[in-house]
Amino acid sequence: MGLMGNLVQAELRKTTTTGLWWGLLIPTVVLALGWGLATGLLGQFFVDFASSSDVDEVSDFLGVTPDQWKVSLFGIARAINISTIFPMVFGAMAISGEINRRTITTTFLTAPSRMHAMLAKMLVYVLWGAVYGLAIMLFVGIGVVVTSDAGQLPDAGGWAMLTLVCVLSSILMTMFGVGVGALVTNVAGSVVLLLLYFLVIENVLHFVLVYLEVPAVAGFLPNGSINGLTGSVAVDLFLSTAGVVPPEIEDVLRAIAGAGGALDWWWSGLVFLGWAGIVFAGGWAVTQSKDIT
Amino acid sequence: MHDGSGLIAVQNLTKQFGPVVAVQNLSFTVSPGSVTGFLGPNGAGKTTTLRMLLGLVRPTGGTATINGRPFHQLGQPGRVVGAVLEAQGFHPARSARDHLRVYAAAIGVPDAQADQVIGLVGLGSAADRKVGGFSLGMKQRLALATALLGDPQVLVLDEPANGLDPEGIAWLRTFLQSYARMGRTVLISSHLLAEVEQTVDQVVIISRGQTMFYGPLEQLRQSQQKRVLVQPSDINALATALRAEGVQAIEQLPDGRLAVSGVDSRRVADSALKAGVSIYGIQEEQVDLERLFFQLTSGQYAGYAPAPAPFKQQGGWA
Repeated sequence: MGLMGNLVQAELRKTTTTGLWWGLLIPTVVLALGWGLATGLLGQFFVDFASSSDVDEVSDFLGVTPDQWKVSLFGIARAINISTIFPMVFGAMAISGEINRRTITTTFLTAPSRMHAMLAKMLVYVLWGAVYGLAIMLFVGIGVVVTSDAGQLPDAGGWAMLTLVCVLSSILMTMFGVGVGALVTNVAGSVVLLLLYFLVIENVLHFVLVYLEVPAVAGFLPNGSINGLTGSVAVDLFLSTAGVVPPEIEDVLRAIAGAGGALDWWWSGLVFLGWAGIVFAGGWAVTQSKDIT
Repeated sequence: MHDGSGLIAVQNLTKQFGPVVAVQNLSFTVSPGSVTGFLGPNGAGKTTTLRMLLGLVRPTGGTATINGRPFHQLGQPGRVVGAVLEAQGFHPARSARDHLRVYAAAIGVPDAQADQVIGLVGLGSAADRKVGGFSLGMKQRLALATALLGDPQVLVLDEPANGLDPEGIAWLRTFLQSYARMGRTVLISSHLLAEVEQTVDQVVIISRGQTMFYGPLEQLRQSQQKRVLVQPSDINALATALRAEGVQAIEQLPDGRLAVSGVDSRRVADSALKAGVSIYGIQEEQVDLERLFFQLTSGQYAGYAPAPAPFKQQGGWA
């Protein structure tokens, strides 16, 4: 095994020899399951409402009867967005946690360079991001399937696509967290900053952008782009079975799915990868020049 | 790659933390085959120097190399140099064995090596306990075990006796000496000369970030001249007699004795006999390394003697 393989194994052992990975995985899957269940119930309620005669015009618009609308897609996208906060927090503690506990000294003493150590860490956290992503998809899926009618669920191809973007989203969020943890180098600081930004600050920014009549910019911000990754896939899957939909309705649907920025899913993914890269580069620069005293 | 010489070379090393000069133009070398003590009072720059040597702190100027290379060019540093540093952390929820296995993987040695070093430092029975419950001494042993994982040629220890009980210190002393005798390099820092006096062969003494002495401990001992302390019946008569024989380094001590340097006690006694002076007491002063060390390093944080009480206590509790 090469130098890099050794370091990756060391980093992997670091994560498996303490309880943090499952300590964060439990609330992750509880949240995912909860969102999945709520999604199915809300979707059912909405479909029942839409099927009543008053809103017939809307169903005419979409070209299919409401019981065939795959409303669960929106809930799944939202569930993924909210659940991936946890792997991001997990990632944020990768480097800040080591600095906090002063284990970073031994880590740097046993690695050929700081860059080697950080890259190995990033690789291991990409793997963990994927594990979290699969777990999130599994539990969101269980929640949705238990509470939804078959007509509202995606087909096999849809599930596969959602799983793909869920895992991708989770990996990217974890990477972003690792970068922020290296940049801020303080466990509480980086976790609070991330939660504030993703749950509050950027949502406020989105309102400001709408007010300034440039809502599309939101798709280029970190939270906007990561939500766009899953939201766009949800909207695309919904529209593919919903018939002809006017652009105004499509915009509303994107907003519901959390993909207000209206970029294609892969574009959104690339934009967020860019953000993760910028943050990691900043974290690397900080770590590289930091005096470990 | 590195040259495998086991040589530590510090040249004109300087570190400034903002306005504070922690280390100033420091130079010394440490050779394999002996234990070298790196001595200085707290705050003299020892830890900063060692951390620069180990690539953890970036020097403002100068170089620090191991085997002819700066730390980052060693390739697999864990196999060249092992270090026990102050404030080196452990994850409290990780067991000692798991801790060692993490770093065994990083260095690229088999897991069996982790079990071997944990036995070597005497932590075998605590291997599966979480480090959070360890005493300071146990953590110090675990840090040493970590340093030994890669079977390194160079061992650097910062205040390793901290937290060790007397038994542990005695064990460490023997261990380090036999490690050095295998032709390896051992550098050990301390703020107390007495603590390492029996362990080290060479010393580097620094104060205020600068080198004050560097060489064999024996040379340091010899640099201090012996003194004879004598209490004669007639101080002036003895002093005159000694001066007549060419002995010039004569000093009168506050307690009424004479301190005579550069001669042994027999010669002083003979002079006294010739001069008809009685001797009530005579002794050769032992070389006090600690005092010498203090002289070399004093002044960094010179305090004041407590001022005399401004007024007498009135009455008291009576």
